[in-house]
Amino acid sequence: MTAPVDKAAARRANEAAIIALRPKGPPPKRGLPWGRFFHIFYCSLSYIFLLSPMIVVIGASLHGGEYYTAIKFPPDEPSFQWYWKIPGDQLRALGLSFLLAGATALGACVLGIPAALGIVRGKIPGKTFISTVFRAPLQIPAIVTGIAFLQMFYLFGDATGLYLQGTFWGLYMGHVFVATPYVVGTVTAILQRFDMRLEEAAFSLGANRWSTFRRVTLPVIKPGVYAGALYAFMVSFGDVPISIFLTAPGYVTYPIELFYGLENDFDPSILASASLVIFFCLIALLAMQKLVGLDTLLRSGSR
Amino acid sequence: MNTRWELILLPSFIIVGILIVASQFIFLEGSFYKDLGLGRTGTELQLTNYIRFFTDSFYLNTLWITVKTSGLATIFTMVLGFPVAYLIARMRSRWSMLLLAGIVVATFVTIVIKVFGLIIIFSADGLINKVLMGIGIVDTPYTIIGNQTGVVVGLMHFTLGFGVLLLYSVIQTIPRSYEEAAQIHGASRWRMHYRVLLPLSLPGLTVGALMIFNMSMGAFTSAALLGGGRVFTLPVLIQRTVMMEVKYSMAGTLSAVLLVTVLLINLLSIILIRRLRSARLVIA
Repeated sequence: MTAPVDKAAARRANEAAIIALRPKGPPPKRGLPWGRFFHIFYCSLSYIFLLSPMIVVIGASLHGGEYYTAIKFPPDEPSFQWYWKIPGDQLRALGLSFLLAGATALGACVLGIPAALGIVRGKIPGKTFISTVFRAPLQIPAIVTGIAFLQMFYLFGDATGLYLQGTFWGLYMGHVFVATPYVVGTVTAILQRFDMRLEEAAFSLGANRWSTFRRVTLPVIKPGVYAGALYAFMVSFGDVPISIFLTAPGYVTYPIELFYGLENDFDPSILASASLVIFFCLIALLAMQKLVGLDTLLRSGSR
Repeated sequence: MNTRWELILLPSFIIVGILIVASQFIFLEGSFYKDLGLGRTGTELQLTNYIRFFTDSFYLNTLWITVKTSGLATIFTMVLGFPVAYLIARMRSRWSMLLLAGIVVATFVTIVIKVFGLIIIFSADGLINKVLMGIGIVDTPYTIIGNQTGVVVGLMHFTLGFGVLLLYSVIQTIPRSYEEAAQIHGASRWRMHYRVLLPLSLPGLTVGALMIFNMSMGAFTSAALLGGGRVFTLPVLIQRTVMMEVKYSMAGTLSAVLLVTVLLINLLSIILIRRLRSARLVIA
């Protein structure tokens, strides 16, 4: 347990020490005067590289011209016309994706939270092995998971007559499988810093096990749960390599609809719906920043 | 307070365990049946598919292209990502949150949408080609679709956001005061980076690079879309072998090779982390 540190005070003390220790005479060399500018310039190039595709998609979706000159950036005569022409196929795919991602986030929490509690608190040998098992779905390349689940469903179907490929539940199993490790990771990260005395206090004050969990433990691990659920949602929402094997023609998630759209001819309505998805991701992130803060999201999020 | 925490772990563990073992066992076993094409396979376990993989120059070339494009993407991701991660980690203003948010959004948006944007940017009458042809560098439109450059760019878009976040956490473990100490003693900016920051972050960078390499090796979507049916990496070939040729056993073999390669790299990075941890260089 580390004592809480007043970061601002520590920084001020640090800076004061630096000024006090600074040798008399000319100020130390700070390197080339344009070093910092070069650094910032370089970073803006990275940002342009990283963000330009999304900006271009949003920009091109505003195109107002005819169909055949439709994919254009920058757009001429900006209009929202394509947003009203998003076809039903895409909307259905979007609907399925939202439903699947939401259910996946829920399922990942149901599997992941007990797993994290058990890993951090259980008194069992082979904890490393257990947490490796829970992290394994992230180490297996997604495309391998996809084909493995497809073959598993074939075999299961041959044995029982219940074919899961191309159904919601088949997709759901695949998505929960890859999303659970994120929840396990974020909740574990929070639990490791959890002060067990809080629970003991609640217990000694007469709370029973369940209400201790609900009123003390849950509020503390909540940021981790939210962060994990967000990762799970986003992983499911953007997945191609697993869904491509487990969807059926006519029953596809949004990324798969886009994937096939890109391989064939497409019109700007796809750009319009893609822009909506980008905005949705932005809003989800902002909500998360308000809810738990970006720091929590990142500290617990690395795989 | 003697809750049996290990018991509540059990249901999840059993479910995840069964899914892992069942799915992996089935396709691994399948990869040992000789593939006769069109979904038919032989009945006895043999190494035919594996022998084919390691003797056929097409498959070996695919493996080589996968490793090559992933390696290049890893290098470029690190080169592009490190300065950004450093800038954000060392920033003291509220802008750092905004910059971080930009990175996180880029990792959340599905790679298909990003590839979409790339295709528009690099299309024949897109921004890049207008500039290039305007200056007169090229006569015919330059494209990244269907060649290895495109695959590398696509992989970078897949890994860069994640890479920056990874490097950000590495740099955060290095106290700022070390750099200030170097500067007080008169080190120039460049010298400080070279003699203080680089050695301290090298362990984290190595592990991070291995993770990014791994991610690229398994990346399907960007490689499939930007390869345009002409560049095959292992994940693309796996999907193609199943969907177009209906050769499950051969696809199983390809998957097994990919899986083993990736797991070996993972093992390497775990060993590295252990070593570095015992040397107290990495906290991550």
